[in-house]
Amino acid sequence: MAKGMIDEDSVVIDDERWLELVELTNGAATICYQCGACTAICPWGEAREGTVSIRAMMRQAQLGLMDRSEELWLCTTCAQCEAHCPRGVNIADVIRGLRYLVWQQHQTPKGLPSLLWSIHWNNNPWTQPPSLRSAWVGDLHIPIYDPGQHEILLYVGCTASYDRRAQQVARSLVSLFDAADTSFGFLGDEEPCCGEAALSVGHKPYFQEIAADTFHRFQEKGVRHLVTISPHCYDVFRNHYPAAMGQNCLEAHHYTQCLAHLLREERLHLDNPVERRVTFHDPCYLSRHNDETAAPRQILQAIPGLKLVEMAHSGIDALCCGGGGGRMWLETEPGQRFADRRVQEALAAEAEVIVSACPFCIACLEDSVKAQGIQNLVVMDVAEVAVLALKTEMSTRE
Amino acid sequence: MVASLYGAAEAQETIWVFLEQEGGVLEGVSLELLAKGHQLAEGVGWRLSGLLLGNEVGDLATTIIAQGADQVILADHPLLEVFTIEAYAAVTFQALMDHMPSVFLLGATPNGRDLAGRLAVRLRTGLNADCTDLHLPSETGVLVSEVSGFGGGVLALIEMQKHRPQMATIRPGVFLPGETDHGREGEIVNMEVALNTEMIHTQVVERVVGEGVNLSQVPVLVAGGRGIEGDFDMMRQLARLLGGDFGATRPPVDEGHIERERQIGQTGVVCRPKVAICCGISGAFHFVVGIQEAEVVIAINSDPDAPIFDYADYCIVGDVHQVVPALIQELQRVGEVSCA
Repeated sequence: MAKGMIDEDSVVIDDERWLELVELTNGAATICYQCGACTAICPWGEAREGTVSIRAMMRQAQLGLMDRSEELWLCTTCAQCEAHCPRGVNIADVIRGLRYLVWQQHQTPKGLPSLLWSIHWNNNPWTQPPSLRSAWVGDLHIPIYDPGQHEILLYVGCTASYDRRAQQVARSLVSLFDAADTSFGFLGDEEPCCGEAALSVGHKPYFQEIAADTFHRFQEKGVRHLVTISPHCYDVFRNHYPAAMGQNCLEAHHYTQCLAHLLREERLHLDNPVERRVTFHDPCYLSRHNDETAAPRQILQAIPGLKLVEMAHSGIDALCCGGGGGRMWLETEPGQRFADRRVQEALAAEAEVIVSACPFCIACLEDSVKAQGIQNLVVMDVAEVAVLALKTEMSTRE
Repeated sequence: MVASLYGAAEAQETIWVFLEQEGGVLEGVSLELLAKGHQLAEGVGWRLSGLLLGNEVGDLATTIIAQGADQVILADHPLLEVFTIEAYAAVTFQALMDHMPSVFLLGATPNGRDLAGRLAVRLRTGLNADCTDLHLPSETGVLVSEVSGFGGGVLALIEMQKHRPQMATIRPGVFLPGETDHGREGEIVNMEVALNTEMIHTQVVERVVGEGVNLSQVPVLVAGGRGIEGDFDMMRQLARLLGGDFGATRPPVDEGHIERERQIGQTGVVCRPKVAICCGISGAFHFVVGIQEAEVVIAINSDPDAPIFDYADYCIVGDVHQVVPALIQELQRVGEVSCA
């Protein structure tokens, strides 16, 4: 090769890195034929000037090239692209694999290493004290899970344990389980982090370590079946723990599925009318990642007086809130936040309440409602709406 | 492990402190290190020397002795007028090799860190960076440096058994400066400085003093939220009266009232002030993460149900536009207060 042919712009293929990426992603990018549907459908295309080329990222993964761009970290892993990919590429896996290469080079965006350290030291990604994990319970008296006695393990998750807003969702859910006369327990301060935050920012090896520890803890406690509050926890337990810990290692459900089941079995009764016009914002990790769009709607539709309307994008086509893929720990420029557009869609549907079923969605949507100074729209969780429909004497343990 | 250029056997029983000065004024951390060095030296019966580099800075020597040094090693040269790493590293290296002190302490300032790293490599010795405490047991003469990691989550105590000098950079503000004692006597040693312009590859074109913001270390933090409606002059004024600095939640930053580097919280700065005063802040979880390590939290909000009150030690239910100006007025009346 003539001297000087390799300059800074040359593409240099690194076979070892390519092999590593294939291993990290199970070769997910291999089947991509570069049509670009992913780039076209990516919500970033509308949120900011210039598209984010997901197609180019897939090509880089095929060649084993590093992606050092800021765009790689914009991806919320909302899976709009996956839903429209004609080849069924697991694009989120590829993005996470590319992110891991950046971790190896210590070039991740500011703030992400401390997220991993927080899981390491505090057992949660929010730098919160482990000893206060179950402080949200207050005076509710929830028993510690006993496999011989309880039909459900309530897996609260880090965000609902510590975020004051999401704690209200956890408390609502407890009221609903009580009203349905279910026997359930939780793991208190000993509840382990699921590791989704580590996975979402691409640190798969650390995620696998967390998954092994967490699964081990579950085995010690006799946990086989659990119900999560966050769709993110649900997703890793359902889709990523089996790969790490073996098929059928756990049976996980999202709480909306559990409540829908209790309704069908006529154990849960939502009889109190709630005269509100509501719309449902599908969390990506419930709808696109886990094909669950029915359960939350079944709960809402079971409530007398409640009018459910759909936004311009709903179900599998729903617009992401912007909080997935580690974006909860990264700053998004004002004017580019997906949730801003999402609450506008809710207003266009003339909804009074935008309901969701994910702590990240609730936080992002509520921020946008406040930031835009919107007075006639409130953000609620499915569990909070359902509690309003309980007969008042059953509505709370307090 | 490679042996250092001089070892424990050759090292002299002296503690050296690198004295950082700018324009003939000593940095605060230099005074703090003199006080701590004096205390350590007295404990083991060693001598404390201050190493002073600069141009026409000899007048500082009496101050340095009054602050606890037994000896001042003075390197005075026109090429030491401003800090350049080549000149400062060369002269400091020479001074250390001439006198072989057992301990060499520097402030963990930008220049101190720069210099310490280079010297440690050149001397083939170890460097305990960003220490928060120091001990020198008289039985061993081995310095014990306290280093905290992971945001204070762990503490490591580090000793250097064989390598000399025992180098450490010390975080500014962890030690208090000592009393001035004009009756103290000390020796001034003038160093011969062999420097020429060819040795210095750095040319100072212009010096600009920037208004850098580092909220993570401020003793008093005044934070403004949506409720202050962009009135950051009020925040600035209150912060100045309390000897602190001010920050903001995300909404005022988004609205352009204040720069992004003053944003506090999960995606901004995590602060550890002694006192945090939260003005017109509702207390969203992502903000609270940024102040919950404050020793005392004072919250002012008109909504008695605001979640911020769950995290506050003192809760003031009231309009920030009334409470804060009243507070400012009172502070102005009593004069400057420092919580530092």
